[in-house]
Amino acid sequence: MAFDAIFQPIEIGNLTIRNRVVSTAHAEVHATDGGMTTERYVRYYEEKAKGGCGLCICGGSSVVSIDSPQGWWSSVSLATDRIIPHFQNLADAVHKHGGKIMIQITHMGRRSRWDGFNWTTLLSPSGIREPVHRSTCKTIEEEEIWRIIGDFAQAARRAKEGGLDGVELSAVHQHLIDQFWSPRVNKREDQWGGSFENRMRFGMEVLKAVRAEVGDDFVVGMRICGDEFHPDGLSHDDMKQIAAYYDATGQVDFFGVVGSGCDTHNSLANVIPNMSYPPEPFLHLAAGIKEVVSVPVIHAQNIKDPNQAQRILEGGYVDLVGMTRAHIADPHLIAKIKMGQVDQIKQCVGANYCIDRQYQGLDVLCIQNAATSREYLGLPHIIEKAEGARRKVVVVGGGPGGMESARVAAERGHDVTLFEAAEQLGGQITIAAQAPQRDQIAGITRWYQLELARLGVDLRLGTRADEATLLDLRPDIVVLATGGQPFLSQVPEWGYAENGEESLVVSTWDILSGKVAPGKNVLIYDAICEFSGVSAADYLADKGAKVEIVTDDIKPGAAVGGTTFPTYYRSLYEKEVIMTSDLALHKVYREGDGLVAVLENEYTGALEERVVDQVVVENGVRPDEALYYALKAQSRNKGQVDLEALYAIQPQPCLSEEGDGFLLFRLGDCTAPRNTHAAIYDALRICKDF
Amino acid sequence: MLETLLPILIFAALGVAVVGAWRRVRLWRQGRPSAVPLLKGLAALPRRYLVDLHHVVGRDKVISNTHVATAGGFVAAAVLMILVHGLDLGASEGWGGVLGWLLLAASACMFMGSLFVARRRRHPPARLSKGPWMRLPKSLMAFSLGVFLVTLPTVGILPAGFGSWVLALALAAVVGWGLAEMVVGMTWGGPMKHAFAGALHLAFHRRAERFGEGNRSTGLKALDLENEAASLGVETPADFTWNQLLGFDACVQCGRCEAVCPAFAAGQPLNPKKLIQDMVVGLAGGSDAGYAGSPYPGKPVGEHHGSPHGPIVGRGGKALVDAETLWSCTTCRACVEECPMMIEHVDAIVDMRRFLTLERGETPNKAPEVLDNLIATDNPGGFAPGARMHWAADLNLPLMADLQQVDVLLWLGDGAFDMRNQRTLRALVKVLRAAKVDFAVLGNEERDSGDVARRLGDEATFQSLARRNIATLAKYHFQHILTCDPHSFHVLGNEYGELGGDYRVYHHSTYIAELHDAGRLTFAPWKGGSVTYHDPCYLGRYNGEYEAPRRVLEALGITLNEMQRSGFRSRCCGGGGGAPITDIPGERRIPDMRMNDVKESGAGLVAVGCPQCTAMLEGVVDASAEVRDIAELVADALVAAPSEETAARHRPRAVEVA
Repeated sequence: MAFDAIFQPIEIGNLTIRNRVVSTAHAEVHATDGGMTTERYVRYYEEKAKGGCGLCICGGSSVVSIDSPQGWWSSVSLATDRIIPHFQNLADAVHKHGGKIMIQITHMGRRSRWDGFNWTTLLSPSGIREPVHRSTCKTIEEEEIWRIIGDFAQAARRAKEGGLDGVELSAVHQHLIDQFWSPRVNKREDQWGGSFENRMRFGMEVLKAVRAEVGDDFVVGMRICGDEFHPDGLSHDDMKQIAAYYDATGQVDFFGVVGSGCDTHNSLANVIPNMSYPPEPFLHLAAGIKEVVSVPVIHAQNIKDPNQAQRILEGGYVDLVGMTRAHIADPHLIAKIKMGQVDQIKQCVGANYCIDRQYQGLDVLCIQNAATSREYLGLPHIIEKAEGARRKVVVVGGGPGGMESARVAAERGHDVTLFEAAEQLGGQITIAAQAPQRDQIAGITRWYQLELARLGVDLRLGTRADEATLLDLRPDIVVLATGGQPFLSQVPEWGYAENGEESLVVSTWDILSGKVAPGKNVLIYDAICEFSGVSAADYLADKGAKVEIVTDDIKPGAAVGGTTFPTYYRSLYEKEVIMTSDLALHKVYREGDGLVAVLENEYTGALEERVVDQVVVENGVRPDEALYYALKAQSRNKGQVDLEALYAIQPQPCLSEEGDGFLLFRLGDCTAPRNTHAAIYDALRICKDF
Repeated sequence: MLETLLPILIFAALGVAVVGAWRRVRLWRQGRPSAVPLLKGLAALPRRYLVDLHHVVGRDKVISNTHVATAGGFVAAAVLMILVHGLDLGASEGWGGVLGWLLLAASACMFMGSLFVARRRRHPPARLSKGPWMRLPKSLMAFSLGVFLVTLPTVGILPAGFGSWVLALALAAVVGWGLAEMVVGMTWGGPMKHAFAGALHLAFHRRAERFGEGNRSTGLKALDLENEAASLGVETPADFTWNQLLGFDACVQCGRCEAVCPAFAAGQPLNPKKLIQDMVVGLAGGSDAGYAGSPYPGKPVGEHHGSPHGPIVGRGGKALVDAETLWSCTTCRACVEECPMMIEHVDAIVDMRRFLTLERGETPNKAPEVLDNLIATDNPGGFAPGARMHWAADLNLPLMADLQQVDVLLWLGDGAFDMRNQRTLRALVKVLRAAKVDFAVLGNEERDSGDVARRLGDEATFQSLARRNIATLAKYHFQHILTCDPHSFHVLGNEYGELGGDYRVYHHSTYIAELHDAGRLTFAPWKGGSVTYHDPCYLGRYNGEYEAPRRVLEALGITLNEMQRSGFRSRCCGGGGGAPITDIPGERRIPDMRMNDVKESGAGLVAVGCPQCTAMLEGVVDASAEVRDIAELVADALVAAPSEETAARHRPRAVEVA
């Protein structure tokens, strides 16, 4: 039987999990109202359970004490009995579909922020500052230690009384338990620090107190790190010793293992490996822990594909695989495996839009699935066929917004034609995927290609749609998602000309798409600081160019998320790319065979020059509005979107109004340059009611 | 002159026929013994012929009426002819005159019938055998016309001794021709053999229990594995029981079997009619060169030969039949269902497969692996026996071992290992729970029913599985067994009895229909498109259940677009009898043809009630219709309890499959 290793149930403690796939604990950031789970939260997990996920461990970093701040990431608070009825809703919603649900509980110690909400004084074994959150803290006192141990026990009781199936004690990501473990952070000389037993003591007392509170018929697991990857931190052998030590108590029902510590930006990037990492990069660490423990081991980190999961489980490296981002991209992953629809699984591409939003305190969303975590609004993961008339829908533009529009309209049962000027689908995704380490972003396009083929969308590739072609099709609805062009003409002094021979500057698109050959000595001016600038720098350096990337912003790549900029920096520094901030591109002129870029200091106005042979400018996208204005006047709705309906996830009123002619909608960058998720979200919420 | 010639001709013909009959009987008696009650059988013959057989023949009204006229006319004419012309009781005075008139009427009736026979032979459909059968209408006419003419003087319409001796001789020759075909041919061979062999076949049929209103007998008969004197299964024609040989001899080569055989239609090397004719060749010895019907696709006629005690399937080289012919059969019973002579093709095929599998170990392609799996793991897929319940890890299904006593024992079948069928099973569990049925499962105590092993000829593995299942079932108390697998349904219900397991078994469609009738299930109105229903062979032809699935679909609010071939004429999906495992190549795939039937019905969804049919039909590339089990359709339509309704307010509907 295909995927039999995935579908082998397993016992964790007294609990039978229906398959080997886990949505591991992550901060949802849409959890809560003052730490209480909301309908949004419940629906988000219910969808995973409905989709067949075996075990959900919700609530990454859910706090047990009021001095572990909950507000920054809207996490769940188990510090009060108020949470119990909320848990009952959550448990019912998941159990109804045969899933199991546990929650991660923790005290984060120093790993938080203090400058808000209760203005908490953060705690840590030895009062050492944490760099990722720039957080300072006090040295924890004996009384506080015992209070927090009691808080853990009470939190576990609340989880049990709320009907959840278990708790996972977080001793990973440098939370309080592993702050005590790690000699890097724990410099104490009392019974809570120093020797191995002393450093273990806090976690052991937590475990004992929790077990004493909940008894034997409730699952208690621990999530631990496989190796902190710091010379002064816990090594893999240390972690094996720790795991064996706790396992020997017989009181731990499972271990979750995460490769890498994460109290620096660079190690944090390992924890949620982005698309630049190979598959399951830290499996060996989890397998090492499995060697020394007697209970099931769960491991997540870049396990996205059912074949990969099957291979890992079949190999016996671990007992359960975490497919957490995989479920964010497609909560029906398991159902699709069972339906024999593996090709229809929307696979996580490792863009880390989800986690990078989380680190900014924003709700976790998927770059390519706009329904995820919006289930409570009624946004569907599975689009139902329309009951009304079959409409002729014409989509212009094969980027993410256009592809999603075509998919959704076709799922609704309409007759869909999609025009794309390029020879292939993808739009800007195709360009983005050319950069080193970024090829997997093309997975977004791959899924749409398969879906549009399955749905029988009439693809007109290599065809630039004009007004006449469109109207010849006698469309009922036209969706414009024509994107835009690099905005190089904003500053005339840059010397941009439409004729490439005459232009003094080229765009990152020109470079990444291969349209313009890489120079030897290149200045990249990046006014945007997102992926495209650093991608172009990485690409050019990879081709052997000497590269300086300059921005007038705080730092090149400043708008790239927290788990992704480190992997760019690793590559850029290694290739000796110079990163310069605070300089704006003032002017470019030709001198002899070369170009002179004049840069102006943002803060002093001082000018400096670079002599280079190529100037690449990243200044964002200018919407391509020509077709929109050609069609607007003729359309029934004059191209207008009803915002009330849009934001309320209601059908656009014009869809149900009678009239002649076509409806016109535009979305994505051809309206205003935003991002992939924005284009896909607009496409879904507009087209779902066609 | 005729008065002299006719009695001689008649009694000579009868005499030669008796010698022929003796010879024919000797041929049949080469077969193994079979305990059938001879006198009781003969006594039952008229009813079996007039009711049971004509029920089948009557499906084609023209042919049926033709046969009534011709055969009825002939039987009457033959008897009267013996009386009138043979024994000279046709004196025009008294009753004798009446006999003459009756003889005239009978022969006229027969002549009318023969005209229709002749008409059909003008442009015979491909399924009909040609050869000697093409002369039959002429022979019928010769007999009937000859008898008519020679009887005219008897009743005084023509003067006695009319015409010259030349005419008398000519008439005698015509009657002689008729007698040779109709009387001598009956026992010596020729088209009319079917009357003699057919009548005795009906009387001594190996499945006496299939006759009578509403009766059916479709379970394979157990093989005596302990009998050391006989080889297991059928190696030579003489290894069949004598009444099976007799049955083969009754074939009229009408080709109704050929017309419905899915393997034949797929271009696989099987033609049920040819197979039966090959057995006839085998029982007398000789070559198939005289066969005048459609060959096995891809196998020219005239290259095979056999003898009563020679092997049917040669060991390397050709004998009577090639092994792949036997392995092409899906055991769908369409041939048996259509056969007007009530021949049991499937029994014969399985008998021959038994020999190939048990004595020679020559089960082809993937079949040995499947049989090894069954022996080692009690399931055909070779899955870990302990994995049987993995699909239901989150359903908390009650186990018989815990409950001991329930109303319904839910038999899962080996679909429990199949991801597709697991959806059906989950749907069925949902339905049972909605109707609050008291049920439990055997869990890991369940074993494969043995269906595939048995149909692949591995009777030993079948009996081993069956006996162990029966022993397991004997530990518990339950009213019924319920299953969504028609193969399990058939085997448990019809084939375990002989081994000591008697159960009341329900197919889920029947059970759901009863639950709905009892008001225990409420359905939301059907919102989908057009639907057709595919009758699984093992539910329909094997068990006669055509109505319940249709009643359930109707209750769901579905109006069926019936396929042209549905009900007892449903076309097999290709999945039965181990055919997907032995996988004999043809020109087309059977499920593709069936899916085309679905397409022609215009339905966008085909409802099924069998895991095997589901698998075969879903395996069709570019299928025009979705395949859903009835249980899934019912589960989807269940009206949820009000509390769930509220909770589902914001939820998009998704296919629940996990």
